[in-house]
Amino acid sequence: MSAAATALSSAAELRSTLAALPPGSVWQASRLAHGKGPVLSSGFDALDAELPGGGWPADALIELLVDHPGVGELSLLLPVLSRPPFERWFAWVSPPFLPYAPALAAAGVPLSRLLLIRPDATRALWATRQALASGGCSAVLAWLQHIDTAGLRRLQLAAEEAATPLFLFRPRAAARQASPAPLRLILAGAGETLQISILKRRGPPASRALHLPVRRLQADDTELIACNAIGEAPSSRPAPLQLVS
Amino acid sequence: MLWLALLLPELPLQVYTRSGIDAPLAVVAGHPHPCVIATSPQARALGVEPGQGVAAALAIAPALQLQARTPALETETLAEVACWAGAYSPRISLVPPDAVLLEIESSLKLFGGACAIADAIHEGLARLGLQASLATAPTPLAARWFARTRPGMNDALLPGWQADLDSLPLTVLADGTGVAPATLELLAGVGVRTLGEIALLPRAALARRQATAVIETLSRARGDIPDPQPWFQPPVQYAHRLALPAPVCETEALAFAARRLFAGLAAWLARRHAAVDQCVLELVHERHPATRVTIVSGDPCRDDSRLVLLAREHLARLELVAPVEELRLLADAPQAFAPQPDDLFGRPGQARDSAMLLLDRLRARLGADAIHLLDTRADHRPEVAWARKTATLPSASPFPSPFPSPLPSPSPTRTASAGAKRAHPKRPLWLLPDPRPLAPGVVTLLEGPERIEGGWWDQADIRRDYYLARGPDDALWWIFEDLDPPGAWYVHGYFG
Repeated sequence: MSAAATALSSAAELRSTLAALPPGSVWQASRLAHGKGPVLSSGFDALDAELPGGGWPADALIELLVDHPGVGELSLLLPVLSRPPFERWFAWVSPPFLPYAPALAAAGVPLSRLLLIRPDATRALWATRQALASGGCSAVLAWLQHIDTAGLRRLQLAAEEAATPLFLFRPRAAARQASPAPLRLILAGAGETLQISILKRRGPPASRALHLPVRRLQADDTELIACNAIGEAPSSRPAPLQLVS
Repeated sequence: MLWLALLLPELPLQVYTRSGIDAPLAVVAGHPHPCVIATSPQARALGVEPGQGVAAALAIAPALQLQARTPALETETLAEVACWAGAYSPRISLVPPDAVLLEIESSLKLFGGACAIADAIHEGLARLGLQASLATAPTPLAARWFARTRPGMNDALLPGWQADLDSLPLTVLADGTGVAPATLELLAGVGVRTLGEIALLPRAALARRQATAVIETLSRARGDIPDPQPWFQPPVQYAHRLALPAPVCETEALAFAARRLFAGLAAWLARRHAAVDQCVLELVHERHPATRVTIVSGDPCRDDSRLVLLAREHLARLELVAPVEELRLLADAPQAFAPQPDDLFGRPGQARDSAMLLLDRLRARLGADAIHLLDTRADHRPEVAWARKTATLPSASPFPSPFPSPLPSPSPTRTASAGAKRAHPKRPLWLLPDPRPLAPGVVTLLEGPERIEGGWWDQADIRRDYYLARGPDDALWWIFEDLDPPGAWYVHGYFG
């Protein structure tokens, strides 16, 4: 009884001591971290709420673990990619397939800013680091097949130094490998939505998977593409198409 | 006028050692009995000293690299220094074999005094791989003599400076003046040691002994009679070379040595208010034709660190056919260039610069084919509805706008189709470059068909029914049935 009372009072003391500290100096494991680094809104409110700082970390390596193409892995990044960067690139390093220009244009991605880099396998890591370190990219998307922890560490450092987010796509088997990435997400298809399980984040472990209604189907419309090209406001685009089952 | 003499007494050696490649090196000259005239610190450490015969030097240090003195290379290097020195004064005069004269009185205010200019020159010369002794004086001859005997800088023209000349030794008269060696011997023979003592000799007696050249030279040095100098005209094309002390096989060492040439190029460009978007680095081999490395920059640039970076990328993927003996840098197409003004709140073109630099680096290392942009084309067939485009950033306007600029006129296709509203077919974000045969039973069809037919005009005729299908892991696939014989099902894309 007295022991429990002591524990209670010491817990209360601890809470008051923590509250008295200047904000940001102590992080409690039950809360999401509010990092000092800049963040990039993901464009999905449900996802932003689960990410520390309320969006993609803008200066970090973000691992997206996905096994099958076509679950919505690119659509997840479309809100980021359709914010046109001023005089910078969106670098895509070694994409596994061809990013299809008409669909990207219809989704509002500025094609003149999308830099496709296709190095041979041995230079893919080098190219990714260059794209990160140059400071000439708004975001880097990379598909690296084999990368060890040391390589991941270097990428994370390069992303941090140049304050450029790197979205690294890896197979789901890589979830077992330890990684210095501060944010790791597992992507899978679930019906018409994209299921996101947060494998690692700065904060408490996520209890449930998210289901995001990403817009996978891009309308191909020459008229729409022409509209984009002559610079009309993005609001003139039609509403996202719904999947017909 | 205030003259700054830039004297390179060790030029015969420095034309080789400026590459920064360490080697025990001795420069030899003389015929028919060549002997060592200059040695690198490494050779000196081995015990080789100027004045030794070639055989003796090789006996002391068998690993010694010998290079014959090349006056032509020294003259070229001097011209390179003169090109580079254009950053400090518009009036430059070359005095072979080892001096460059700069008229700096008009530049004093800009740089903040002669000492500041001297510091900048020492620093800049170090980037060229050279060391010089500097001195100032109101006449070109006196400046050269001071640089040779007691280097030092003076801002102002102090009255009575001529008195300093009197204490200079007689030997300075041998330096690039019209005084015959016989006359110097004569003067030394009568006990003259310094210039001041010549002035005490009777002029008529000197004239009788064919020593009038001495009097005239002294008058020019004192400023009593004018001493016009021929002005140096910088060349319209940049072509300079760098001799290596020993044949080099490692490209990393070459990249290091090439920095010297690029530093000179940058100064030459700055003087001409120009920039280059292309230059050629030639690696000269002994028995093979020279290897040409063309360095291309996306934007015109005159920043040597950027050019060195690109050269390094090119050299890193180069397989040398033979050891390299000499580097040459050629830039024959300078373009007028106005650098971006600096801004208190950061340079506006900084992002663009780094984006262009990234492009250049990637191109240099991976090849131009590995980097491209995407573009759309007006065609119904998925294979031809996209195109590769050479990667480049649109040129910067003086008032950059964050919004994409409008096209000059709407495309005719748009005007034609503007009135008709139609259902928008769905397109995937991923396209397979080659359609992959579809195994039966993998997918369930969700939507379709959408007929895509055409291509009779360019011999790539297709007739396909496209469907939206659900694949494993609830992925959405874009599949089609080929309606032409033999007819089969294929995957053509993923709705990623």
